[in-house]
Amino acid sequence: MAAGLRVVIAEDSAILRDGLVQLLVDRGFTITGAVADPASLQRSVEYERPDVAVVDIRMPPTFTDEGLRAAMELRRHHPGLGILLFSQYIETRYAAELLADDAAGIGYLLKDRVADVSDFVEALERVAAGGTALDPEVVTQLLGTSRRTASISVLSAREREVLSRMAEGRSNAAIAKELVISEGAVEKHVANIFAKLDLPVSQSDHRRVLAVLRYLDS
Amino acid sequence: MTQGQVDGTETRVRALLKEMVTAAVEHHGDRFKEVVGRVGREPFTRRTWSEFTFLTVGAPLAALGVAFVAITLGAGVILAITFFGLAIVALSVRGARGLGGIHRQLARGLLNEEIEDPEPFTARPGFLGWLQSALRDRTGWRAMAYVLVKLPLAVLGILVGFAMWWDAFFCLTYVVWGGSGHRVPVFGLPQVLFGSYFFSSGQSGFLHWLGVLCAGVLFFFAAPWAVRAVVYLDRRVMRVLLAPDALTTRVRTLEQARAQTVDSSAATLRRIERDLHDGTQAQLVALAMRLGMAKEKLAEGEDVDLDQVRRLVGDAHQGAKEAIVELRDLARGIHPPALDIGLGGALSTLAARCTVPTELTLSLDDRPTPAMEAIAYFCVAELLANVAQHARAARAGVVCSAHGGWLRIVVRDDGAGGAQLSRQGSSSSGLVGLTDRVRAVDGRLDIVSPPGGPTVVTVDLPLHA
Repeated sequence: MAAGLRVVIAEDSAILRDGLVQLLVDRGFTITGAVADPASLQRSVEYERPDVAVVDIRMPPTFTDEGLRAAMELRRHHPGLGILLFSQYIETRYAAELLADDAAGIGYLLKDRVADVSDFVEALERVAAGGTALDPEVVTQLLGTSRRTASISVLSAREREVLSRMAEGRSNAAIAKELVISEGAVEKHVANIFAKLDLPVSQSDHRRVLAVLRYLDS
Repeated sequence: MTQGQVDGTETRVRALLKEMVTAAVEHHGDRFKEVVGRVGREPFTRRTWSEFTFLTVGAPLAALGVAFVAITLGAGVILAITFFGLAIVALSVRGARGLGGIHRQLARGLLNEEIEDPEPFTARPGFLGWLQSALRDRTGWRAMAYVLVKLPLAVLGILVGFAMWWDAFFCLTYVVWGGSGHRVPVFGLPQVLFGSYFFSSGQSGFLHWLGVLCAGVLFFFAAPWAVRAVVYLDRRVMRVLLAPDALTTRVRTLEQARAQTVDSSAATLRRIERDLHDGTQAQLVALAMRLGMAKEKLAEGEDVDLDQVRRLVGDAHQGAKEAIVELRDLARGIHPPALDIGLGGALSTLAARCTVPTELTLSLDDRPTPAMEAIAYFCVAELLANVAQHARAARAGVVCSAHGGWLRIVVRDDGAGGAQLSRQGSSSSGLVGLTDRVRAVDGRLDIVSPPGGPTVVTVDLPLHA
């Protein structure tokens, strides 16, 4: 599964940091570093070249959005590095900033999600592989604030479920498994959604995420 | 009564008088010299000439001021039926405020009269807002009253103070120009006192010259005191009309107190959020994570690593207990549950929990309002924490009593002393926070803490507010 993916953890709460290390080691990840502030994160990434970084958004010194700033900086210098941002709150503005140009290798999850260990690990693997993992909360907020309610209401209930999961960054296979339908059925729903919303069809999952998010946000 | 008796009486009376004068001169000689010295020096002091300048500069300013007020206020009243009139009156008030400021600056620069600046004029948004604010500007109206009162004061100043110097100058220089038969151009108080005849050109001769010279000397030494008397009156009027009035000052203090309260409650909320975020929330996330791991382990089927599951559940259990303790401490910091049974009970818990032996004396007849009880509680908690941390004290005492509508709390310790209120440094930030909190409800916090101790902190709070 995790096949020795190399992970760096940046989290200022010692309890959570230790817990994450324990969880990821247990699941077969290699922890290249567990740090408590953005500067140490930068250094650790420079030296250890991990595959993916789990970054708390609120870190010292000001405890506002240091983690987000550090993540954007890391992305500029290490384009291949997957980044999973981790926060107690979901701020749609942060999601928008994060996904401004590319959704490949980006994740944004509520900290609560670690309680469902397998889902969390799956999300981390997805991000490491260049996919996207957005918290359902982000998608809900986007759907709630979207001005495209008229066109979204054209979608059937099942299509809306598929749309939300697409926006979270899930693959067709994962969506099929979660909704307990066939992959063929998912593909049909996706095709319908793209047609109804007049979106350009794209093959890769993360491009699909971006297209959907852009649509909801515009 | 015979002639001899009369002579004898006279001699005795004279002897007695002589004795009295001698005694008086001997007794009051030093004082006499002092007074003469003072009078002699006064025309040459800096203060005298500053006051004279104040009088001289103030007079035209007073005339201009009255003209301004008369014209603007008059025009405003005449046009009062139209909206325009109100605007002119408002302008008049704003102008008067400015004039008041000039007079205050003059007094500050020349008289060393430190009159506090009133609150700057703040207008509500929009023209109507400005109009309303200007018309209701108490400081402006009071400055206008000063500008009006200043005119008679200035006239008095010219007639009494300025005139004295003027007359002194012409009397003392009379020897130079008096020969050509000119009249001495006296005016004001000296003229009233001596009459014009004395100075008129009809007079001549040595005695007249000498008289004018003597009058000049008299005026010269009297002038500083005449000026001072008028300036004294002016000072009294300025202190009343140009200083911030009691109501405005009160409003300003209340506004500051309110701002501090708002700030401090925002800071408190931020602190609570931070504590929750870093403490309890993180604890609970870690707890949920461990339980999640245990759950998935258990779902694996036959080959369950029970030791690992036990460890995970054990950690989660420990974490849950820690989270409960953190939450309890946090809740107590927001509202101490002990206060529900009354201030006395809450304070005795605090005193008992303090690491320094603390004696509590309580004499309260009726309960203060809950807000006051909370502030009192947090004061004692903070002060006792300070005693425990900084004072190196062997004993501490808390006295809590009610005096006519006030709750007085005295916390004393026999420690090292040197506690102080400063907004720099972290050790005293608690005291500053307390002071803000106490001031917000019109209370007082006083610290007496000489180096070497003992430290006595007195907090006065209104019982009901």
